[in-house]
Amino acid sequence: MKRIGLGRLASGTLVWIYGLLLALPIYFLLTSSLKENMEIFQEPFALPTEWLFSNYAEAWERAVMLKALANSIFVSASAEIITLALVIPASYGLARSRSKLALFLERVFALGFLIPAFATLVPVLLLSIQLGLFQTREFLTLFMVASTLPLSVILLTQFMRTIPAELEESAMVDGLSRLRIMWHIYLPLSLPGVSMIVILNFLAYWNEFLFSLVLVGSNADNRTIQVALPTLIDQTKTEFGPLLAGTVITLIPVYLLYIVLNRRLEGALTAGAIKG
Amino acid sequence: MKIRAKARSKSVGPVGATRGLSLFSLPALAWFGFFTIGPLLAMFYISTLKWRSLIGKSEPAGLANYEKLFGSDVFYASLANTAFQLGFMIPIMIPLAFMVGYYITLKPRGHRVLRVVLFTPGLISISATAMVFYASLGPQGLVNGLLDSIGLEDLTKPWLASQDTALLMIVLIGLWQGIGYTAVLFAARLESVNRDLYEAAKLDGASEWRIMWRIAFPISLDFVGTLTMLQFLWTLFGSAGLILLLTRGGPGLSTTTLSLLVYQKAFFENDLGYSQAAGVVLFAIGLVGMLVIRTLVKARY
Repeated sequence: MKRIGLGRLASGTLVWIYGLLLALPIYFLLTSSLKENMEIFQEPFALPTEWLFSNYAEAWERAVMLKALANSIFVSASAEIITLALVIPASYGLARSRSKLALFLERVFALGFLIPAFATLVPVLLLSIQLGLFQTREFLTLFMVASTLPLSVILLTQFMRTIPAELEESAMVDGLSRLRIMWHIYLPLSLPGVSMIVILNFLAYWNEFLFSLVLVGSNADNRTIQVALPTLIDQTKTEFGPLLAGTVITLIPVYLLYIVLNRRLEGALTAGAIKG
Repeated sequence: MKIRAKARSKSVGPVGATRGLSLFSLPALAWFGFFTIGPLLAMFYISTLKWRSLIGKSEPAGLANYEKLFGSDVFYASLANTAFQLGFMIPIMIPLAFMVGYYITLKPRGHRVLRVVLFTPGLISISATAMVFYASLGPQGLVNGLLDSIGLEDLTKPWLASQDTALLMIVLIGLWQGIGYTAVLFAARLESVNRDLYEAAKLDGASEWRIMWRIAFPISLDFVGTLTMLQFLWTLFGSAGLILLLTRGGPGLSTTTLSLLVYQKAFFENDLGYSQAAGVVLFAIGLVGMLVIRTLVKARY
């Protein structure tokens, strides 16, 4: 195409303006995290005159971030493990069974994906009290597993369906049990699908805020990183440097993941919405 | 669905041989039932109780909570705010995201950088987003600094603390975060469209604009429907976290949306029955909205 149409020029300009609008607050976040309040207020766009890395140290101390990071890692990692233990057999079963029941169950998961977790906030809190698990990281973990189950099952089922059924049939002729087939044949072949849901769920677990706040609370021993962060706001006088430094700290794990797994992560997130 | 059906018919062997395999999904199903379906049903039950404390006792109250809900000003205010939020956000987000997504698939110069930038807000948590905008929209934040530097001091204001702009800011933050991510999703879908269609139309003299709306858009209409539905649900149910961190529903009632009301009544005012009655209404709106969007898309499909 030689001729660049007016429409394309206009849409290109608009898209780049939007891109700038996206980038500007991120630039502001990064530069301000190294400044003092006065400098943030007076020179919001300038680079810091003096790079105050002490803001990071202060955020780290004041929000007890080490503990919060450990809690977030504990919660995310345990939720990942439990989720896989539930999803892999479920998806294998649904992908290979051709009974009406399996079809129905798959529908249930597809509908379940549409239930917004928020609708269950108060009853889930009451459930945690009933079970004597209020304000524990363990209950948050168990709940978060449930919130990501439907999409994970749908995605992995679709993935496992692309594995030829003949493989399974010849394995059955060899006398392998279903469980062994799942473990030794299906799991290795569906690792790309598994890694996709692991990435997708990591983002969900790491970034979860409202349920973490309600179920675990803001006690410094148990709270996750997302709940620890807003405690840097001071009702009378907020120090914006440390607040934004703390924000950057919470983003680091996610962006590290993005840098390492760029295409994969994009693939996981888009598959999450397209196939779900 | 079509792809799924095809894959199903491809496998060989009698149905009976695979009987029992569905049982493999029972643990997952039970887990989901216990932590999601059960609580969802409990919401309906709790909405008929008088329950004034998380650790206290409850007693049956019939439909009293609903009477209280429908008789309270805060409910109608939150309904209006939710309507504003949805009515402003969805009609802007979906077309813009579609255009941006279409633009990326043309692979213009710098499209890789653009993709990364557009993707960025999708990775940021609610609390991090809230902190960035708490700093940006404050009295001495980024936006006012920008206005100052271009000589528009008169327009500066505490954006989140002003009755007439707070809700607008919540909506704009939603758009800031949502357009880019939705655009990347559209792009992923549009990449599977056969290019020859565009080329043929171009030979016939169709402009890029016409190709985008007359060819690419109708082809992906079912996906437009899906994303509209998802954004509708996310906006309707998901706004409580951000609002809680930025404005707590204020100033006045100006940012009290229906989902925030559910939170507020339960956790600030300890009125669980009322909160869950609002939750039932929220759920009903979600259900009706989804059906309406589905019908609209199907009718034009």
